[in-house]
Amino acid sequence: MFYMLFPLTLSAAEGEFTITIKDHRFEPSKIHVPAHQKVKLVISNLDATPEEFESHDLNREKIITGAGKTTIYIGPLKPGQYTFVGEFHMDTAQGTVIAE
Amino acid sequence: MKFYTLFGVVGILFVPLIANAGPSDYVFTPQVIKGEREIDFKMGTEKSGRRPSDSAASLGIGYGVNERWFTEIYAKYKHGDGEGTHYDAVEWENKFQLTEMGRYPVDLGLVLEIERPKEHDEGWEVKWGPLFQFQAGKTQLNTNILFERNYDSEVRSETELLYQWQAKYLWISSLDFGLQGFGEVGKWNNWEATNRQSHRMGPAIFGEHSLGGRREIEYNAAWLFGVSNAAPDNNFRLQIEYEF
Repeated sequence: MFYMLFPLTLSAAEGEFTITIKDHRFEPSKIHVPAHQKVKLVISNLDATPEEFESHDLNREKIITGAGKTTIYIGPLKPGQYTFVGEFHMDTAQGTVIAE
Repeated sequence: MKFYTLFGVVGILFVPLIANAGPSDYVFTPQVIKGEREIDFKMGTEKSGRRPSDSAASLGIGYGVNERWFTEIYAKYKHGDGEGTHYDAVEWENKFQLTEMGRYPVDLGLVLEIERPKEHDEGWEVKWGPLFQFQAGKTQLNTNILFERNYDSEVRSETELLYQWQAKYLWISSLDFGLQGFGEVGKWNNWEATNRQSHRMGPAIFGEHSLGGRREIEYNAAWLFGVSNAAPDNNFRLQIEYEF
């Protein structure tokens, strides 16, 4: 029921979540994921310029090329909020993973 | 100069070389960032008893060629044993990320370093080994097993076994903290007696500061204490990277 409120966060495969980068913003910017299990984030960059997914909370750092796509594995996470940014455009590219 | 003094001594005795990690050594991590460019400064100083301190530093430039391969070239300098600061070696480091970070319980990498000492009779020093990383909550653990040998050297060289490890608690991006350790045990398949092995460990700090866009400064530093007879009593080491 809860995930119905956030349809963009779910993709076909269980435990796999899709994020897009457009106009240097993450869509969605809040990603609800299950706690205590590994999660796969598939990030598509629709911008022409590269972006770097960076999160100290998640201990992840990865480049996504312009018009490119990448996969980032996170977790298992304790319930809580974990922020991430697009380091090349930190003013706009901000997001949160919410483990629950 | 401790390392090369040792070379000379064992050369005279005509016995196998014993590896000696430098004071500016750092803990390798398996992650590679594609397209990352960095200027990398490392330094370290170590002291035992009343002996003059030995120091080493290096300045390198590195590049993440792709998502699996990071390469870096260093100029290395030394200072100690009555000699001023002098060029010591050039080193080519290659790091390979073998698994996607976080996909498996343990992240795997591989490092290969090739060093050409200024003194060419020391041949070519090759260091390689697997890199392991494990994360549990906000704690990151690294353990690396390294093999080191000199090829084409005037003094006969054996493959030596070294290790390094760190435990890092992810606190805030500008300041994480934990422990680091380094050691050399001797020939890889025939370890030295305990009192001839070198083991060092101590507290460490880590951090990064974004300068906007691609530019970022990262640092890590540790104060290591010798926990075996063959290790220096104290060793301070520091690494600062400017990424752009």
